[in-house]
Amino acid sequence: MVSSEPAPWQGDEGPYGPIGVPLVDLLDRVMATGVVISGDVVIAIAEVPLVRLSLHALLSSVSERLPAPWADGGPW
Amino acid sequence: MSVPAYTAPDETSTLATCAFAVHLAASGPGPFPPALSGHAGGGEPRVLDAGELALIVQSVPAAAFAGEALAERLQDPAELERCARAHHDVITAAARTGPVVPLPLATLYLDDTRAVAAVREREAQFTRLLNRLHRRTEWGLKVTSTPGAQPPADRPAGETDRRRSPADGRAYLDRVRGRQRDREHRHEAAWRAAERVYAVARRTAVEARRLRPQDPALAGAGARQLLNAALLLDHGTEARLRHAIDQLSTDPAIADQARIELTGPWVPYSFARLDEEAATDGLQ
Repeated sequence: MVSSEPAPWQGDEGPYGPIGVPLVDLLDRVMATGVVISGDVVIAIAEVPLVRLSLHALLSSVSERLPAPWADGGPW
Repeated sequence: MSVPAYTAPDETSTLATCAFAVHLAASGPGPFPPALSGHAGGGEPRVLDAGELALIVQSVPAAAFAGEALAERLQDPAELERCARAHHDVITAAARTGPVVPLPLATLYLDDTRAVAAVREREAQFTRLLNRLHRRTEWGLKVTSTPGAQPPADRPAGETDRRRSPADGRAYLDRVRGRQRDREHRHEAAWRAAERVYAVARRTAVEARRLRPQDPALAGAGARQLLNAALLLDHGTEARLRHAIDQLSTDPAIADQARIELTGPWVPYSFARLDEEAATDGLQ
């Protein structure tokens, strides 16, 4: 089984398009970009505990809200 | 990483500069689409010049982002999603015309001058990274075990075992051990399948890296995520990756064990790592 459909958000608005990015995959990336270039206001975002906590909250709510759109051949 | 000198302002009207991404000044994204609003409550996304580089920023109310405020907000899954998507939207808009280095979610500066100075301090690293990401995109590759792979037919389920041979404890134990072995073999076969997928797929890529495995709940009941990886591909070579994945997915040795998912194209978040650039510097 494979779900390698054409890129879902390849649209009029450019190669990265606007909508439909699976949140879990997005958080993999947004949350893992852990390089703070000496921001003046350091926020705990990049620190693991907060991320874990938030992700945990998110993932539990995802599995409740959307019963496994991923479990059935991928998000699209 | 620790600059606690800043204290949260009392007035809610105080603005801070939120930086999203760095790009080459020469490949600026041009006017942003009007619908692009960045973080809620902030000003319009705009571009700051930093010599050969430029950065996309937005003015945001400091009180909503400073100190604990944002951390608390992000405990709310809906708010986390809004923030992550707002961040991503600005970065993808910036990436339409050239490579970008995405900055972490909510990278904040006291003002524009400080933001520009921070980028200029690392101009050489940013430039090298941007050159490396030029005309390249990231693809996500996930492999999930297929739930409910069937045990061999000659091994009955536990209930039947007990009925068939209540007296023969040894035979019963043999069957239990047999089932255990089957499980282990299936497990092993699934991991081997995932490793093969990764090995084949990465040959189509410029770079590859494993990401943290995602929550098991997302794989569905009885399934496991075997691989969560990111691939950096040259523009125009994704057909090779798709072809490789299609071939793999029709191979029974893999298809019986696992499901392959490809996501993308992504801005190369997973390969825009300034810390690793710095580490490379150290070796030179």
